[in-house]
Order: sequence, then C-alpha cells, then structure tokens
Amino acid sequence: MTRRILLISLILLAIFAITACRPESVAPPTTQGAPAEPTQTSEPLTIKYPGDDWGYPSPFAFYPRGPGYTRMSFLFDTLVWKDEEGIIPWLAEDWQVSDDGTAWTFAIRSDVKFQDGEPLTVEDVVFSYAFFKEHMTAFKWNASLEKVKGVEAVSENGVAITLKEPFAGFLNDTAGSIPILPKHIWEDVEDPAKFAEPEAVIGSGPFTLTDYNREEGRYVYEANEDYFKGRPIIDRLVFVKVSDEALALETGTVDAASFWGKEIDVVKELRSDGTFEVLEGPSFWVLQLVFNTANPPFDKANVRQAVAQAIDRQNIVEQVTHGGAIVANLGIISPHTDWYNPNLPTYKHDTAEAKTFFEEQGLTTKPLTLITTANFAREAEMVKQDLEAVGLAIQLKTGDRTTVDTLLREGNFDLAINGHGGIANPSILDTPDWPAATYKNEMYDTLFAQQAQAVDQEKRRELVWQLQELLAEELPILPLYHPRMWLLYDGSKLDTWFYTAGGMSVGIPIPLNKLAFLPR
Amino acid sequence: MQIVQYLITMIIVLSLNFFLPRMIPGDPLTVLEGDPSTDMPMLLTEEARAKLLTYYGLDKPLLAQYKDYLLKMAQGDLGWSIYYNVPVTSLLWGRLKWTLLLMGIATAVYTALGILLGTVSAWYRGSKTDLGLLGGVFALGSWPSFFLAMLLIIAFSVKLDLFPIGGVGNATGEYSSALGRTLDVTYHLFLPCVALVLSHLPSVYLVMRNSLLSVLGQDYIRTAKAKGLRERFILWRHALPNGLLPVITMIAMHFGLLITGTISVEVVFSYPGMGTLLHEAFRARDYPVLQGAFLLIMITVLFFNLLAEFLYARLDPRTRRRWTNA
Repeated sequence: MTRRILLISLILLAIFAITACRPESVAPPTTQGAPAEPTQTSEPLTIKYPGDDWGYPSPFAFYPRGPGYTRMSFLFDTLVWKDEEGIIPWLAEDWQVSDDGTAWTFAIRSDVKFQDGEPLTVEDVVFSYAFFKEHMTAFKWNASLEKVKGVEAVSENGVAITLKEPFAGFLNDTAGSIPILPKHIWEDVEDPAKFAEPEAVIGSGPFTLTDYNREEGRYVYEANEDYFKGRPIIDRLVFVKVSDEALALETGTVDAASFWGKEIDVVKELRSDGTFEVLEGPSFWVLQLVFNTANPPFDKANVRQAVAQAIDRQNIVEQVTHGGAIVANLGIISPHTDWYNPNLPTYKHDTAEAKTFFEEQGLTTKPLTLITTANFAREAEMVKQDLEAVGLAIQLKTGDRTTVDTLLREGNFDLAINGHGGIANPSILDTPDWPAATYKNEMYDTLFAQQAQAVDQEKRRELVWQLQELLAEELPILPLYHPRMWLLYDGSKLDTWFYTAGGMSVGIPIPLNKLAFLPR
Repeated sequence: MQIVQYLITMIIVLSLNFFLPRMIPGDPLTVLEGDPSTDMPMLLTEEARAKLLTYYGLDKPLLAQYKDYLLKMAQGDLGWSIYYNVPVTSLLWGRLKWTLLLMGIATAVYTALGILLGTVSAWYRGSKTDLGLLGGVFALGSWPSFFLAMLLIIAFSVKLDLFPIGGVGNATGEYSSALGRTLDVTYHLFLPCVALVLSHLPSVYLVMRNSLLSVLGQDYIRTAKAKGLRERFILWRHALPNGLLPVITMIAMHFGLLITGTISVEVVFSYPGMGTLLHEAFRARDYPVLQGAFLLIMITVLFFNLLAEFLYARLDPRTRRRWTNA
C-alpha cells in the first residue's frame, strides 16, 4: 500500500516537474525569433564562449562588472574604441581637444544605423550623455561623467563636450565607455534600470540579441547584417554556462575559454594536447598586502619596508601560482602598459636583517591580524610564515569577500591580502590601498590630482611615474603578484582573438573585444 | 492552538529574515562598487553612494524599512533585487522551477529506493544481500556529493561521452519542438539526478533498515509470527507502519529543505537552482532576494512539518491525541 502511494506520487511529481518547465519552451525568445536564413549556403559559424548570467545586457541592467559590460558592448557602440594598440575612431571618425583640455569636439559618422533601422545622429549622442548623467547606475560611468559640464550638437555631425576641469582620462574612461543610446527608445523611460523590454537592447552594435536566459546564463547574439564597420565574420556568438571551462573546451561545449593565474596547470595540460591555440595576455590585476597605515606599527614607512624585506614574493609566485603570475610592480600599475615605471627601488629579501629590525623596534610581542578571503588563504599562509620568521606574531583570519571588504573600509585590520583589477588605468592610483582608505599623504594626493588633469600624455606619464616612485618608497601596500592570463581557442573556427591595449573601457582585460569578430 | 503556534513562528521568522541579513558586515552597495577578486574596482563618490542608497530605500531608519518590508510582505510583494535588477518573485520562480524539477525527482527516487532497499536489508538481515547492500551504501555515503558528481562527469561525459557535462539544455536554447526540448532537458537532468540520489540514498536506507530492525525485534511481531500469520502480511501490516515513522520525520525534513537546492551539485553541473542563488545573494548582500528566498523556505518547512504531523497521526494512533486535545 505505502509503496504504491509512493510510486504514484513519484510519477505525479515527475510529470508535474517536467511540465513545469514546458511554458518556457513554448514561449518564443524575447526579440526577433526569426529562423535562420535558408539562403545561406554554408554552415553558419557559431562561436561558443563560457559565461554566466551577467544580467540583461541593456546599458542600465547588466550587473556592474567587466563581463556584464562586454555583453552590452556587442549591442551598443561608443564614440571611440580600442584595439590591440590603443584608442581608435569608432562612432566618432575624428576628434579635437582645446589646449586647456576642457573642450572636446567629436565628428560623428553619418552612416550608422540602429538595429531598428533608425539613423544614429548627433541628437542621440547628446541625449545619451545627458541621460547617463541624469540617471544613476551602479556602473563606473557615473564617475567618468562627473567632470562633464555640458554636451551639445554644434553642427550636422559635430558634438561638443565641455568639461568642468581638464580630465586626462576623458577619451578612454568616458568617450570610450559610454554607450550611445537610441533617443527615440529611451527618451520617455523613467526608471531605466527597470526598463527590460526587447527595445532596451537595440543599439547600433555589430550583434543583435536573439536570446537571453537568466537561469541558464545564456546569451545568443546574431550578426548585424548592416553594421557600419562591415558584417561580423561570425554568424552567431553564444555564451554558455559551464562549471569547468577546461572540460567544456575538451568536449567541444565551447570554442574558446580564458584562464588565469593558478589555472596555469590546466593551461599546460591543454597546451600539450596541441588541439588548442594559446594566446597569452595581461590580466591587469594585482594581489597585494595592504597595511593599515593609520595605526601602529604600520603607520611608519620603515616598518613597512622591513616587511617588504621579510616577504619572499618570488617564492609565493613559484609555490602558490606555479609560475602563473609575475612578481608585482611596487607601483601597482601593470607592467604591460605605457604607464609602467621600470626604474623603481627594490627591497632585497633578507630575513636576518628584517628580524634584527623588528627586534630592535620591539614589535615582536603584539599579535597582529592578517585578514583575507578563502581564495588567497595559501598566499596568506606564506606571508604569515615569512613574517613569523622575522619574529612577528600573526593571527590569520579568513572571511567572505564582502566581510573582508567591509573590514578594510572600516579600517578594522592590521594587514590584509586583497586583490583588484583596473591597474592598466592610472586612475586606480587614487586610493592605493582600496577598498581601505588608510593611506594619507598630501604630496601623493597633489601628484594624483595633477596627473588626472594632465591632458598632455608625456606630462601625465611623468607624473604617473612619480606616483609609482612614491608608492615604492612609502609602501602603503606591498604588491605581491600580477597573474598571467591565457586564451585557449579552436583556431580552425576563429583565429582573430586579441587582447585590448589597456583593457576595454576602463580596463576590462578579457579578450572579448567586438573588433575580434569584425572584418579588418 | 496549533494555528496560533504556526502564526507566532511565522512572525518570528519573518523578522529574522529582515534583521539577520542586515546584521552581516557590508551592505548591497559594497558589491555594486566592484568585486576586487575578479574585477576592476569602481569607486563610488559619496554623492553617488547616497543617491543609490536613496534609490534602494536603504537610507531610511531601520524600523521604517522594517515597516515597509512587513507591509509589502502582507501584500505579497517581495520587492526588487538590488544585484540582479529584476523583481524578486520572477528571480525566485526562475530558479525554483529548476530546483523543484531536479530535487523533486531525485528526492522521490532516493526516498523510494531507500525505503525499498532498507526494508529488503532488514527483512533479510545478515544475509549476503543485506551485507552487500550495507557495504555498498556505506561506500557511497563516504563520498561527498560534489566528488560523486565530478566522478560521474569524468566517467560518463568525458570518457564515455554519453551525457552532457552540465547545463539544462543545449547551448543555443533552440529546439524544433517542445517535445525535443523536454527530452533534452530530461537528458541533461540524468547525471545530476543520479549524483543526488547516490549521495542521499544512504541516510534514508540506513534509517529505514535500523528502524525496521528494531520493530522486527519487538514482542508483538513474535506474537504475530506465533499466531501463524503469513510473513508478507506481518511485514506490510504490522512492521512497516511502525518502521516508517522515523523515516517520515526525516523525509519531512528533507522535503522542507528541498527548495534550498544543493549547491555542490548545482555548481558541478552548472545547473541553475536555489542553492547557487542563495549563495550569490548572500555574497552580494542582496537583502530583498535573501528575504524572499528565506520566506519561501520557511513556508515549505512549515508546510511539510504540518504534513508530517498529519501523516504521523494516520500511521500512529497514539499521536492523534495531540490533535484532539488542541
């Protein structure tokens, strides 16, 4: 009797469960569900890339992260863009800047159409800048629009943008990041973050979105036949959610995948197969030991310098990352950029000398806390060993990332191991110990403000170099390593992948530049 | 009385759902500001931060927020997710349907199988079948579910190439027919389901076996045997109803937690579900999502508790008194 009931309920449950997911299969995809064109003679070229859910790819709804931005960037264009060398014209074919660096004019191409057939005009550009300035989003561009005073159309195809003060990063951080919206779609939208209609993903970009599935983390993009830079060389770009990217590559579930840092072992294994091409690039990321410079003992530069002597960074790179990283620049900025200063002072690893120093200073009794997340527990363990070898008493505490972030923000720590990206962009130097803000140095702040306004690139570089020198001497943080990054891909399907100079937009390192999918 | 008890529990849990997420360090904006472990930092200016706090209603005093929360809950409005930027109900439902599909089938299978095997084992206690089952189940039970899941993937997906490595359907999500999709979804469901069944089966089996063994050793069973009743009859009518009681308690608990999903299996098979959603929402300190998900869990747990009490009363007349007293 009991078994029969169980059996029946089991069957009922199974039927219910399977039918429960039917409605979605019947419902058509959100936008143009047109079937593949039968006129196409050859097999359509689909590129599959591992991914996850990064939000609806409208300029206001994607999750405020690099991958979210890339999902949006296939659909929308910016005034300028970047290739492997640097900034290139995009929607704007030409631009000028006044001598004082506050007045920019852009000449907008006249042959660009939005995906609904409407032309993209200066009106749309003016509207977009004003609209982004008016509406809050969590993405970075609020900061980059802060210095914008006004935007106006000055001719049939000319747009003038005036700034409150010179802003050295304007071309890269603002003009190269802010997507241009179709005014006719967005002008009546009141809460853009909640505007998730199919029209919200109509831009001028090289691809149109044909499917987005939040639960399955799936994005399907189809080539925009009328793209002003030419039709993309692939027909479809699909993002698939996978748990193990190496397995996904091996089984052909995806055609390319990105790896970094400690994943070097997987890369080596896959490389020895010989099936995949390997492209190495910079991750623009740094792992650093953050000092609480507001409290003793790390409020003194000589104590921090002694810590730098005590820690064997090369050893951490070898032991923990197996060579998947390089020893970090003491000035934070990625060595793979034009901003990198190669002539910084160094600290030779010397346990004995550091030990004498700490003993003389009487710092060997007070226990110090070192906080980190589980991801960097091994690095933290090695730092702890090195510091204990010179006589310091270290208490290691791990927490989830938001907790560690919050402790850093509140200044509730002695030492922390924390990492972040964005180090291709000098604006990252604003707060060297981010997300903490314990480091105070007037000279540093003055230099930073000067470089932020230095429109002349040479002058700016000079100032950014000085900032790095100051960092290497003062050591508010001790940068540990920069991970290496690799793209493994099936070259027989597509071999135009590349790493963007300084990363896309404000510094997104992943090699998903839309230019890789376009004729060149 | 029973109803009042359940109501009080609900109010306490509702309040905990509100206050607990807010007591963990950090707030939803911490994550919006950038994820230092994977990405570039996004520095929010004080002004921008204040604007966002106002936008999400997080600048109000805590008690005012609590009042808003209770009022909205009363209207069935779970709010808008801060990180995912969608209504919480649609977010939850999107995940819940996959969790129910996977966990529902797996739970039904491992419960039925566990009871069946446990009964067989107890009935033929000491035989080769019993010892074989016991050994096999112990071996299974000693492996964590994510490990079992990975073994299954390596064996059946990578080496034998029989099943997909994960997901719920094909890469593009395009199917020629609804039947094609249903079949493909079932095909994708197979391995995660097997992993769940294998990892949960041991507990049900062991409880069933032990409980039935202790029942079979009792006097009334001996009496029944002495009366000359058929063995099958003794098992079905005398032993099983009593032997099932601990199993029902356990299954009610399993079912209550059914909708929280199983994060390890979800992660290994990149299967969408409540487990990963809860984890992500916690990481992002997405208060509305956490509140909504906890509410859902609370309702399920309370419902299955009620159901278990009801079933108990049916199986064991002695527990009925509680109901009549109330």
